[in-house]
Amino acid sequence: MISVSPKTFADSKIKLDLENLSAEQKALDIKNLNLHYGDKQALQNITMSIPKGQVTAFIGPSGCGKSTLLRCINRMNDLVDICKITGEINLHGENIYQKHVDVAALRRKVGMVFQRPNPFPKSIYENVVYGLRIGGENNRRVLDEAAETALRSAALWKEVKDRLHESALGLSGGQQQRLVIARAIAIQPEVLLLDEPTSALDPISTLTIEELINDLKKQFTVVIVTHNMQQAARVSDQTAFMYMGDLIEYSDTNTLFTTPLKKKTEDYITGRYG
Amino acid sequence: MDSLNLGRHISGQFNEDLERVLNQVMHMGGLVEKQLSDALTAVSDGDKELAKKVHQNDYKINDMEVSIDDECTRIIAKRQPAAGDLRLVIAIIKTIADLERIGDEVEKIAQVALTSVKKEQKDLLHNLDNLGRRVLEFLQVTLDAFTRMDVESAIKYHKNDEKIDREYEALMRQLMTYMMEEPRTIPQIMSVIWSARALERIGDRCQNICEYIIYFVKGKNVRHITMEDVQAL
Repeated sequence: MISVSPKTFADSKIKLDLENLSAEQKALDIKNLNLHYGDKQALQNITMSIPKGQVTAFIGPSGCGKSTLLRCINRMNDLVDICKITGEINLHGENIYQKHVDVAALRRKVGMVFQRPNPFPKSIYENVVYGLRIGGENNRRVLDEAAETALRSAALWKEVKDRLHESALGLSGGQQQRLVIARAIAIQPEVLLLDEPTSALDPISTLTIEELINDLKKQFTVVIVTHNMQQAARVSDQTAFMYMGDLIEYSDTNTLFTTPLKKKTEDYITGRYG
Repeated sequence: MDSLNLGRHISGQFNEDLERVLNQVMHMGGLVEKQLSDALTAVSDGDKELAKKVHQNDYKINDMEVSIDDECTRIIAKRQPAAGDLRLVIAIIKTIADLERIGDEVEKIAQVALTSVKKEQKDLLHNLDNLGRRVLEFLQVTLDAFTRMDVESAIKYHKNDEKIDREYEALMRQLMTYMMEEPRTIPQIMSVIWSARALERIGDRCQNICEYIIYFVKGKNVRHITMEDVQAL
């Protein structure tokens, strides 16, 4: 006899309870995070947990603080003199803003990819193994293997395997961006931060990167900032909507794009903002 | 239409697209309502000309369904609507499918007017007309709730279908008794049965439209849940 599961199709993708994630489910735990640029407060009391092995998207209008929040996760804002941060971002239960934390070590665990592809003026191969080399790894076999694995994960291997020693600057924009992703994942980070990774790319390269993001979450926790709402809807499992430094709504992507709870979210994603 | 908050998109073109498609749905609803009203009049008055007109006009409803469907497809392709806009477009697509099917049911009802019914069977037509008027009223309030996207009314009228089902069952019992008593009238009675069945189906489709209104406004899919749960919304 055929047994019929009582679960409906909608239940087949289990939703996480984002407010009550267990320690094992959490990749990052942000608590009461406030950030000031001089007198201006750019982030207001942000509290959220980012689940492990999933894609979390930050969306919101320009200047809402989404990139600032992303940059807080690997302490990129430390480079800004007038920036003052209070609150916690916990990685493995440890606050990354404690004084003794080694920022270089943190950035090995939390990799980042920017809006415009920024390959070094070196060969494709040297770009990918750069992180390992500065980490002291010089064994050719280890480097070769890491380069191939990273380029395969970044869906670039087939295109560049015969010209690994040619300049990375000769690649197309989409290929360069995937190369930068390969460079970021070659050192096996835990979290990958993507700051508008496709905004400078054509639609086909964008789709390739989106497909890649879906594969990357099997190995890494991915946090992505995007201006393209449909992209957030396509690639992410969770979406956070931010507005003027506030986290307005944070829920699973399906809910946020079909039945958002807050009016501000609804107005933004339906194009009524402004 | 202001209650739908259509006028506040940054894209004025998107506002116009949604308003145009909603106007078309209302026009289609009006046409379906007129068809049902005409079919009922044709049956109660035995007006064969009017019944033929109902048959002839069904193509208009079919054409409107196709045209609104195309318009919705264009909106999805061009605008990628989200949240309330997405639910509105989905509710429209589903509503017009039900309206088109109501149009088909109306054709079946008009068929009775083309069947010769004996004088002694007129009281059966009277009972059919009563059921028909109740269904017409249900369709009217449903379309009215759709125009205003009035979720309170949609929840309230959602249960009207139960009353229609009870009335339909009572009429069925009566018709069956009649057939047993006078087997020779079976062909005529059968056409009355098909009409009653068509009316009952229209009631179901009005109930569906109420559910789409609830889906649009509340974001909750209330299909296939109990009446009590719907009323508790």
